[in-house]
Amino acid sequence: MSRRILPDSVRATHGPKAPWLALAGGILFLLSGLLSWSYDDRILGDLSIRFYPAGIQLYAMLFGVIGVILAVLLLRRPPWLSPARGLRILGTTGIVFVVWIIASVAYQSGGLINANEGGWVALVGAVLLTLAGHLSPEVDIDVRRWPRLSSTLEIVIIVVLMAILLFTVAYTLDIQDGVIFASFLIALIGLAGGLLGTGFGGYLGFIGANNRRPLLLAAFLVAFLFPFTQDGSDANMSIATQVLIFATTALGLNIVVGLAGLLDLGYIAFLGTGAYVAAMLSSSGFATIGWKPPFVVVMLIGAATAATFGLIIGSPTLRVSGDYLAIVTLGFGEIFRLAMFNLDGNNGPDLTNGPNGIPAIPDLELLGFDFGEVHTVAGIPLGRFSNYYFVLLLLLMFVMLVFTRLNNSRIGRGWVAIREDERAAEAMGVNTFGLKLLAFSVGAFLAGLAGTIKAHQDTSVSPDQYVFLESAFLLSAVVLGGMGTVVGVLVGATILKLLPEKLREVNDYRLLVFGLLLVVMMRFRPEGLVPSKRRQLEFHEEDQELSELLQAEHLQAEHLDPEQLEPEHLQGAK
Amino acid sequence: MTVTDTATTGHEAGRVTVLEASSVTMRFGGLTAVDDVSMRVHEGEIVGLIGPNGAGKTTFFNCLTGMYVPTEGTVTLKGAILPPKPLKVVRAGMARTFQNIRLFGNMTALENVMVGRYCRTSSMALTSILRGPKFKREEAATRERAQELLDYVGLGRSTELLARNMPYGDQRRLEIARALATDPQILLLDEPTAGMNPRETEETMGLIFKIREGGLAVVVIEHDMRFIFNLCDRVLCLVRGSLLVEGTPDQVQSDHRVIEAYIGGDDEEESV
Amino acid sequence: MDAFAQQLVNGLTLGSLYALIAVGYTVVYGIIQLINFAHGEIFMIGAFGALSTWLIFFDGNLALWVLPFMILGAILASVTTAVLMERIAYRPLRHAPRLAPLISAIGISIFLQEAVRLFYGSVPFADFPDAKQRVPFPQIEVVTGPAFQLGNVTIQRSALFTIGALIMCAAGLWYFVNLTKTGRAMQAVSQDPDTARLMGINVNRIIVVAFAVGATLAAIAGIAQGLQVTNINFRMGFLAGLKAFTAAVLGGIGNVWGAVVGGLTLGIVEAMAVQFIPGTFGGSPWKDVWAFALLIIVLVFRPQGILGARVVDRA
Ligand SMILES: Nc1ncnc2c1ncn2[C@@H]1O[C@H](COP(=O)(O)OP(=O)(O)OP(=O)(O)O)[C@@H](O)[C@H]1O
Ligand SMILES: [Mg+2]
Repeated sequence: MSRRILPDSVRATHGPKAPWLALAGGILFLLSGLLSWSYDDRILGDLSIRFYPAGIQLYAMLFGVIGVILAVLLLRRPPWLSPARGLRILGTTGIVFVVWIIASVAYQSGGLINANEGGWVALVGAVLLTLAGHLSPEVDIDVRRWPRLSSTLEIVIIVVLMAILLFTVAYTLDIQDGVIFASFLIALIGLAGGLLGTGFGGYLGFIGANNRRPLLLAAFLVAFLFPFTQDGSDANMSIATQVLIFATTALGLNIVVGLAGLLDLGYIAFLGTGAYVAAMLSSSGFATIGWKPPFVVVMLIGAATAATFGLIIGSPTLRVSGDYLAIVTLGFGEIFRLAMFNLDGNNGPDLTNGPNGIPAIPDLELLGFDFGEVHTVAGIPLGRFSNYYFVLLLLLMFVMLVFTRLNNSRIGRGWVAIREDERAAEAMGVNTFGLKLLAFSVGAFLAGLAGTIKAHQDTSVSPDQYVFLESAFLLSAVVLGGMGTVVGVLVGATILKLLPEKLREVNDYRLLVFGLLLVVMMRFRPEGLVPSKRRQLEFHEEDQELSELLQAEHLQAEHLDPEQLEPEHLQGAK
Repeated sequence: MTVTDTATTGHEAGRVTVLEASSVTMRFGGLTAVDDVSMRVHEGEIVGLIGPNGAGKTTFFNCLTGMYVPTEGTVTLKGAILPPKPLKVVRAGMARTFQNIRLFGNMTALENVMVGRYCRTSSMALTSILRGPKFKREEAATRERAQELLDYVGLGRSTELLARNMPYGDQRRLEIARALATDPQILLLDEPTAGMNPRETEETMGLIFKIREGGLAVVVIEHDMRFIFNLCDRVLCLVRGSLLVEGTPDQVQSDHRVIEAYIGGDDEEESV
Repeated sequence: MDAFAQQLVNGLTLGSLYALIAVGYTVVYGIIQLINFAHGEIFMIGAFGALSTWLIFFDGNLALWVLPFMILGAILASVTTAVLMERIAYRPLRHAPRLAPLISAIGISIFLQEAVRLFYGSVPFADFPDAKQRVPFPQIEVVTGPAFQLGNVTIQRSALFTIGALIMCAAGLWYFVNLTKTGRAMQAVSQDPDTARLMGINVNRIIVVAFAVGATLAAIAGIAQGLQVTNINFRMGFLAGLKAFTAAVLGGIGNVWGAVVGGLTLGIVEAMAVQFIPGTFGGSPWKDVWAFALLIIVLVFRPQGILGARVVDRA
């Protein structure tokens, strides 16, 4: 796991200096926040004033705080943390952060000359932190020494983390300037990576696993309360609903890709199926089918149609080979798009209005509740998007339920076995074909479900919403966030949906970055930002260190003592 | 080794046949890896399969378990013809282990065995999502049975270890536990002691006897002759795909053709 | 009857194009069992490589002797991209789970498309047109002259070029695979990589060669496409790649001659579908749908393809 850049001799002689280097780096970063970063006061939220830190300067100071914490940890040496790794992440990201800001200042105000002393001081700090990270010795994390806290304290930690989460999300959504947004994102990655990369993340996972229910409750409370913080404004809510649709669909895709290990490149077509079914059965003036069933029925029809398509595509290909599935689903995605494009009455029956699609889909109305209207709850107005937000939240909860329950069951075990060794799984009696087909059609079903709501929320459907790149986009969310985890997909979906919203200036480069992202992730972190332990192991078959660490974490989580687990006949042999 | 003495009897006619392979042939292009091999295994019998490297022993197992579709010949289990589909073979009651261990490395020992229970349990998607009483009962029973099997093969304390982190010998036993989890009537073991030290080998022999006492028939491929001749009731020797000799360990041991096949055919006779 | 003959010619032309691309899928698959998803982009890069060569050295010159240089430029661009791609995106993942190289390939594919779309127009030292829309492809004189008439059947000169290119490439490929040392090593690796390695064959080198061979043919296909359609665009690799993959499966993936047969079959089926499927589901709007439907049908009834190449999986 450790990447050794410096030769061992250098590490040996200069290793003891590492804590002091880290401390110096941290202090420089703290100091830089108080200095001026830019001569020009019109850009990046005014970084020109000394001793009055604005946004970006505050981020720099946070780098400093974490740097100092890690330096202290290096001196204190707790056996269950490895600050070296945290420092490397913090330092490297710090360099990227500072260089990005200096470059932005230079670019926006026409010259490097406008970058003031603050940035350069921070750059030195970042380099020092990185150096300290590479110099300091790697600690073999001993998870058996994880501190045991009282359950009240654990819950307090969870509540505090949730509060930080809510604050961070609200703060992120409020950033208007694209460059500041990008800086914040880089800082966030560095800060979180610096803290969690020490092995603290594993510990937090342990605390979370000890308190599943409070954690879930807190998370949903946070999500539920979010619209009430928006004061009736629809601007952020519109983004939030888009994130939710995207996350829900990506989570469905994660069942297929993350759990069953199948690559589905036409997944967007299932979302499209649901959306088109809902549109055709809606009371839009352009709807092509006369029948107007209640929405609950529409949802079921949409999902069932998508699942049926899933079965039709899956059953021939899943029998053959996983690789074929990838291409055939891609072909199916194209067939779907072409069919929606063509079925305008001139080419085949008139179902979809061809390229124009079906516009003017009315808002949902469930049990007399009109989704298009503003409702006031407890004095706070909740607009159209808030209404959809709540339904989508419910849908997301449902998909999460399906995801986790399937994963933790006989079926989930079967999927793991298939991913590990399909032929062996079959030889052990696992119905590999059936399970793959199940994953494929459940995924399709859930996407279809999401599609029916999406149609109403978007108020229109058209073929160009359901192109291959959208499928690739969904796949990126799964890959970036983490195959096989719920949290990972939520993180991935949020980042990927927010990024283009906030970075309008560079929107044109969006796809280029996604493509690059997929390659880079596969090369350096195929398990994603928030990996499932099992997936992480699968992508690092050779890494013995990792497997022992995760093993130890697992034993801790199960509250077992590793010493007792040595098989008896081995104890003599050693 | 009293067991060997009692079991090596000539009157096979009175005993129930579990597995019957008749004239199994497997060709890969021009190569005939298994050539017209027939084999009959009775209830509670331990049959050994020996032969030099590349003789076709593993290929024969693959034909029996449906992992390969034999070019010719049929396999019958308890009188019913087995279709060459691994899934159906396991369900019918024949399980196997692999020469090159094929555990699910990133699952724990317990989970590996629980996967073996897959074909004897029935919770599907809806049951798993709703988590009704049936699901909970079945899940608990699966877990319990898996733990039992781990205890049975002597891995009771390794339950939560990742398979890939387990020592080699334990991995081989875990494969046996996983195979037993499918409730087989006959167990095929492909070199179950390869890579084991003498003590582990001894333990494995005890385990196989114990399995047979539980009423299962066992077919074992091994290169370790001492192991085979002490363990088996009957031994078959394959050479270049064909059945060369079949008989009691004593008969096979003293057969000059067997000795020739090993000395003349391949120089690595006892690969460890 | 005339309609049939005309569609046959059209189908052969289209099929030759598919076949040239399909070989790339098949050689790589045969050796490392990887579906090189980004191969369609290699075809696209080939077309742009030819265009760039023309713009830099021969701008405005449409004489026939320019064509070989354009082919050379196309091959250079395609092969470089393919080899880099193998080195950067695939080789580090060779022992990773199968999902990893596939996802990496999708990433590469999107990246290449976008890179051409965004940056082709602003390459320094050269005056290239913006590639966000389709770009006209130089119409080399002899190749694009008046069409031949055979009775009522029209044969475009560019079609002859495409079919001729396939014939030449197939002959070259045959020579390479059967009569050169590298070609025979390639066959050995695809049959049994472990033994081949033991015999002293440098498997890494063979893999690179496989990518290069596929890229060469794809580059020629890129030019053929440019001459025939008269313009090229950054998205042209997507559909062509998908169709060519279908062709490779049709012929039995891993089998080089299967790719040729599969390509021609697919081309003819597509052309005939346009002409002969009656009613509102006929005609060109549906031809791609029929092509993919054919892919699914083949997978159901004959997954090993027409010529069949896949052997028993090693258990
Ligand atoms: N899928 C396959 N395709 C082609 N040839 C195969 C295949 N499987 C096995 N063979 C060949 O069949 C022959 C028999 O192999 P097999 O593995 O059955 O031998 P074995 O008796 O198990 O040898 P060992 O003692 O080394 O395990 C070998 O020559 C092998 O190369
Ligand atoms: Mg063998």
